[in-house]
Amino acid sequence: MSVERDEDAIRLVGGCGVEDAEPLAVLCRAAPGLPVDLGGAGPLHTAVVQVLLELAPPLRGVPADPFAAAFVVPALERARAARGGAGEV
Amino acid sequence: MDDLLEQFLAEGRELVQAAGDDLMALERAPDDAARLAGAFRAVHTLKGGAALFPELAPMGRALHAAEDLLGALRSGRRPAGRPELDAALACVGACEGWLDAIASSGTLPGDAAAASARLVAALAGGPSATGAAPAEAPAVAPAWLPAVLADHGAAVERAHGDGRSVTALRYAPNPGCFFLGDDPLALVSAVPELIGLSLSSGGRGPSDDPFTCRTAVAALSTAAPDAVLAPFRFVADQVEAVPVPLAPAAAVPAAAAAARGLRVDPARVDALLALAGELVVAANGRDGGAARAELERLASSIYASALRLRLVPLSTTFRRLPRVVRDAAARLGRDVDFAMDGEAVELDRNVVDGLHEPLLHALRNAVDHGIEPPATRSAAGKPPRGRILLCARQDADAVVVEVSDDGAGIDPARIRDAAVARGLLDGAAAAALDDAAALDLVFAPGFSTAGAVSAISGRGVGMDAVRAGVAALGGRVALSSEPGRGTVLRMILPRSTTLAAVLTVEVAGERYGVPVAAVGTVLRVPRDRVMPTGFGRAFALRDRTVPLLDLRGKLGLPGQGDASGPLLVLVATVDGEPVGLAVDAVGRRLDVLLHPPAGLLAAVPGLLGTALLGDGGVLMVLDLAELVG
Repeated sequence: MSVERDEDAIRLVGGCGVEDAEPLAVLCRAAPGLPVDLGGAGPLHTAVVQVLLELAPPLRGVPADPFAAAFVVPALERARAARGGAGEV
Repeated sequence: MDDLLEQFLAEGRELVQAAGDDLMALERAPDDAARLAGAFRAVHTLKGGAALFPELAPMGRALHAAEDLLGALRSGRRPAGRPELDAALACVGACEGWLDAIASSGTLPGDAAAASARLVAALAGGPSATGAAPAEAPAVAPAWLPAVLADHGAAVERAHGDGRSVTALRYAPNPGCFFLGDDPLALVSAVPELIGLSLSSGGRGPSDDPFTCRTAVAALSTAAPDAVLAPFRFVADQVEAVPVPLAPAAAVPAAAAAARGLRVDPARVDALLALAGELVVAANGRDGGAARAELERLASSIYASALRLRLVPLSTTFRRLPRVVRDAAARLGRDVDFAMDGEAVELDRNVVDGLHEPLLHALRNAVDHGIEPPATRSAAGKPPRGRILLCARQDADAVVVEVSDDGAGIDPARIRDAAVARGLLDGAAAAALDDAAALDLVFAPGFSTAGAVSAISGRGVGMDAVRAGVAALGGRVALSSEPGRGTVLRMILPRSTTLAAVLTVEVAGERYGVPVAAVGTVLRVPRDRVMPTGFGRAFALRDRTVPLLDLRGKLGLPGQGDASGPLLVLVATVDGEPVGLAVDAVGRRLDVLLHPPAGLLAAVPGLLGTALLGDGGVLMVLDLAELVG
């Protein structure tokens, strides 16, 4: 179980594989605007990153995986900012 | 529109502007080698940019000819005479038009090829034109490269500064790669010496299918292309790697680079604004003293600094205008000295952009209908060259932009006659107008579209467009004129338009917002002081009779309200006249982020916009002028 939903955030915990993409997409769509907390996340599969890229939920926390922290999250933030921070409408 | 094209448009406009400025300066000082070099550089860079887009070939051909011409001027093979500069300016002007066409429709207009051929012929013009060697073919850069470089400009500059080469990589994975067990980002993470990563979602919107890969990855590394490509040996057909050329920034003189300043992507600024706006909303929702005050202070300072990001100097619009005046004067046979002042005054980007068109109309009018032909001027004892001054100044929260000329001015009597002749007014009504009100008639749409207006020794054509354009920016326009001495067109513009102070009022159990600026006072009016009049009700306020309207009725809400006790009345100023509006209750003052009415709401009359409240509710903000009028 790497995708969890709390009161105030969706949390990605540990390494997230391709199988986590669909539950993440479902949770993001169910609660647009709810932040996704990457604080406990390990390496993120491209399929998971793609969900974050396309649905553009607000992100918080820094993943434990150095590649995700240094490159993937900044790229997602940039893409999100370029879209005016809007999620899916 | 793709990122590359968008970037080219932004850059292209600056280059067109720079080239135009330099060419106009050359007209005054043909020996200015620095200006000539500047124009050459701008045209050269623009040509290189246009070469990236096959559909812009006609523009590229014209620019190529312009570059040849400027090269010939630099080497002294041709003189920097009037025909040469005219041809170069015509080319730059055409490019500006083409850039606008691309921005609005994505392609060049249909006649671009023919226009380009004419420009090439004009540019090649003089008999001494030599077969200058064509410039080297522009390097072919892949279409995705500029976007990733824009994302990571600082990192690339640092690497180049340290003497390291940079390789750019693009990986567009096979859509089915997830099924094959591939993780594209895992491959990218194996690239050595990574310095930047960008993700793009292939231009299509979000899809429901999480198992199809639609994400493309671009990355920058300081390793050699071979090393960068190594992790991708099994997907070699899906990756591309190119060395990143050194930025040509070294060629731009330092002063010019500093003056150009930072270009901020409006989308990013808007994102920051939206965040700050959310904070404003949150502040409005909190209860309790000090924490709330602090939150409010914080929110408004973040908002103010974000708003400042949007402020750009008027010079971005002003700079394009000397050429407009020059063209209009040349076409109409007028001699005009054009001067500008206050270009450094800053305004919201939207206002600055939106001001361009009203200013075009205003200046063309000043040349066409203001400034007289040289002979007429001489006969009237004026210098043969007319003067047009465009100036801007800050005035409290507003910015005043004035176009003044020393031309013929406007004769109110002739305006009255013309208005009667066009059927806008009958004779008696026209005679009743004072001079200021008569001048105001030139802004009436029916007045200015009539063909014969230009026969009047004043203005007329396009003045309604000026007023409409300025009104759309939240500003207003005033005209003053002295027959024989000249005309001043004054545009009063808000510095920024987005955060509005509103007063909440309650009517029939519903909450509405009213712009604070529109509200004079709030009164309790005893019912026995309300008098019926011929067209409704009124009450006396400081020796004035003020009409009283029921907001409930105006909004079409049911019920009568509390019939006992005094009436609660907002006194608003509508078109300069006080109007009383009866409401059930007055709430507090809020700073809100006003959204223009969209969708169904756009059709609702009397609605200025909507604002989100701290409790998640939506506040409808009323446009009193429209509601009352």
